[in-house]
Amino acid sequence: MDVNIIYNVEHEMPLGIPIATYFYLTGLSAGSFIISTMAYGFGMVKFKPLGKIGVVMATCLLMIAPMILLIDLEQPLRFWHLIFYLRITSPITWGTFLLSLYPMNCMVYGYFMFKGDMKKTKIFGLIGIPLALLVHGYTGFILALGKARVLWNTAIMPPIFLVSAMVSGLALMILVVIIKDFILQRGKEPNRDLIYALGKFLVASIALDLILIGMDLSVLLTSTTEAYRVALMLLNGPFSFLFLGVELMAGAVIPLLLFLSPFTKRWIPAYAVASVLVMIGIFAMRCIMVIGGLTLPLS
Amino acid sequence: MKKSEVKKKKYGMVIDLRRCIGCHSCSVACKAENRVPIGVYRSWVKMIEKGRYPNVTRHFLPNLCNQCEHPPCVINCPVQATWKREDGIVIIDEHRCIGCKYCLASCPYNARYINPLIPIVQKCYFCYHRVQAGLDPACVEVCPARARIFGDLNNPEEEVSKLISKHPFQVLKPEMGTFPKVYYIAADLDAMDPFAGREEWT
Repeated sequence: MDVNIIYNVEHEMPLGIPIATYFYLTGLSAGSFIISTMAYGFGMVKFKPLGKIGVVMATCLLMIAPMILLIDLEQPLRFWHLIFYLRITSPITWGTFLLSLYPMNCMVYGYFMFKGDMKKTKIFGLIGIPLALLVHGYTGFILALGKARVLWNTAIMPPIFLVSAMVSGLALMILVVIIKDFILQRGKEPNRDLIYALGKFLVASIALDLILIGMDLSVLLTSTTEAYRVALMLLNGPFSFLFLGVELMAGAVIPLLLFLSPFTKRWIPAYAVASVLVMIGIFAMRCIMVIGGLTLPLS
Repeated sequence: MKKSEVKKKKYGMVIDLRRCIGCHSCSVACKAENRVPIGVYRSWVKMIEKGRYPNVTRHFLPNLCNQCEHPPCVINCPVQATWKREDGIVIIDEHRCIGCKYCLASCPYNARYINPLIPIVQKCYFCYHRVQAGLDPACVEVCPARARIFGDLNNPEEEVSKLISKHPFQVLKPEMGTFPKVYYIAADLDAMDPFAGREEWT
């Protein structure tokens, strides 16, 4: 039947790029923290050179991230309401505490690491891992509990955010090692084994990320009409370039080829290009999730 | 029902679309009563046309905050700036709201907006200041066709209770589990479907 809308009110999108950037930075922070604890918490000696730089990155990124949240508030000077008035059902309230505990723990962990107190480093590293997972998992919950938006309201949102945090964190670490060993300290013997090991982890995380995206899409395609429409929006609509082209092609498939093909497997520039592509892809994923989810009309 | 529950008020609204003439008086009255700035709306009327000549009809759908029984905005507000009163009206404490806009993102009805003049979240609250004074909300008062009826759903003698007891009614997005307290009589499914008539989505 022909239906024409004669008059309707279009609403401004409440959240946008700042929130996507915030999700991206927390993801990077959680990812680099977990890699930092691989050496000092779990004793994987190979990753030892990343311990210190990982915790510095994690702390710095998690200082910028809540600033973006504050700027995005309509009343930034009332931020202290978050601490004094709590609603335990709201994921933002959980985030208030996670976003204050996690950087504090990062700093304590980093302090003991730089002092060389290995026992305490290990303890705070192990405390930090659940915190890092929660800090990023809760951002997934923020979207998952926004039940009006069909793209967000799935149980897979927290795991997909965690896995993509690992992906972007590993890519960031590869870039950091390349910049450190091959550009800043050219005279020293570069640590190729470390980059290859990180590359292997990155391949595994990208594969897991692709599996989760596939699960999400297949459920969206077969669920309610709204879900079907949002899946079409990603595959064949306004977000198809960002989703298929940037997130999947540039952010996952091309890096996988670069890491796995025999010609580029041992070639450091290919690792650098692949890591940059992965980070762009994950940022695209955050933007698609936040903005794409809000694009769906509600009235 | 227990006696104590009967005394408790539960406000609701019935919008009888057999009577609605699509004059937008409710939108104008709401703007004037609540000083809603340009560009944002607490109450608006969606209009659609459907069919092919000569079988064409026009349908209206007045939208406002549904004052949900289980409001997602209240569940998600991190600072308790919005809550459901005992009489069922969902209100906002404008001095506590930090403007995180999470409620805007979680409302399935797009009922909330940021006031561009004072950056605060606002929405329809059934003109609570008028209801307190014993008056009807502005949109109900002004409706020339008497399509909007407001009252206490717990009182069986009120017109709202009679209407929803006697007539088949619809609510918006029942699948959300929000249990809205704005009931529509004779609402058109295509008007209620956010995607109908949007070519880019079908």
